[in-house]
Amino acid sequence: MPPRPSVVAESIEDRVFAALSSPVRREVLRLLRDGGPQPAGVLAAHFAMARPSFSEHLRVLRDAGLVSERKEGRQRLYRLEPVPLAEVQEWLTPYERFWRERMAALGDVLDRMEDA
Amino acid sequence: MTEDLTTIEVDQFYPHPPGKVWRALTEPELIAQWLMPGDFRLQVGHRYTMQSRPVAASGFSGLVEAEVLAFETEKLLRLGWRDAAGGDADWTITWTLQPEGHGTRLFLLHEGFDPDDPLQRQAHTIMNGGWRTGVPKALAKLLDRV
Repeated sequence: MPPRPSVVAESIEDRVFAALSSPVRREVLRLLRDGGPQPAGVLAAHFAMARPSFSEHLRVLRDAGLVSERKEGRQRLYRLEPVPLAEVQEWLTPYERFWRERMAALGDVLDRMEDA
Repeated sequence: MTEDLTTIEVDQFYPHPPGKVWRALTEPELIAQWLMPGDFRLQVGHRYTMQSRPVAASGFSGLVEAEVLAFETEKLLRLGWRDAAGGDADWTITWTLQPEGHGTRLFLLHEGFDPDDPLQRQAHTIMNGGWRTGVPKALAKLLDRV
């Protein structure tokens, strides 16, 4: 299985993996997964760091498409976006992808075969 | 992703009877059309080689040394797969056929993945050495629960 050649897909993957390389950012994803959408301030309270540093972590997660931001009143509400994680999972399971492709090809062979 | 990182399970329904699916799994000219060419023979202990695409991320060369380990006509076919070019792969591939309505559900069980090795190597490729060893597992667990 050759790696996916698309330059665009590569740069998105790069961003997702870079975003996931930080324990702080992984913890933010866990908090959003377990607690649902939350204001930035509530998330920030879990970490002993200056607010601008934490905002930078949120920016990296946003740029990777792992979280989205929505304004609600005076707050910015953050939520987990599962799609990039699903793509990462696919990246981590090339063999599963291999078999899904092969089994789809098997279906084509069966469709072409004579009923005997 | 399943919890167990040492196996892969995939299943698929085909609107064709088990006898027909069995032929596609066991006749060399048909196998070549969907998997890879090889000198397959339905006989326990028979060994043959097949050339597949390499998986660079995990060090699999793509050259498979296969052996028929067991079979039960139209029900089960178990194969051993080794990396013939010296890679670490030492897998068991089990096909199970189950009649479902007018068709067949085909189950694939791919066993024998080293839970640490391939993932770690993939992780190194992914992260250019920037990550520590525990991260891929932590990531897999995170993905499991999301």
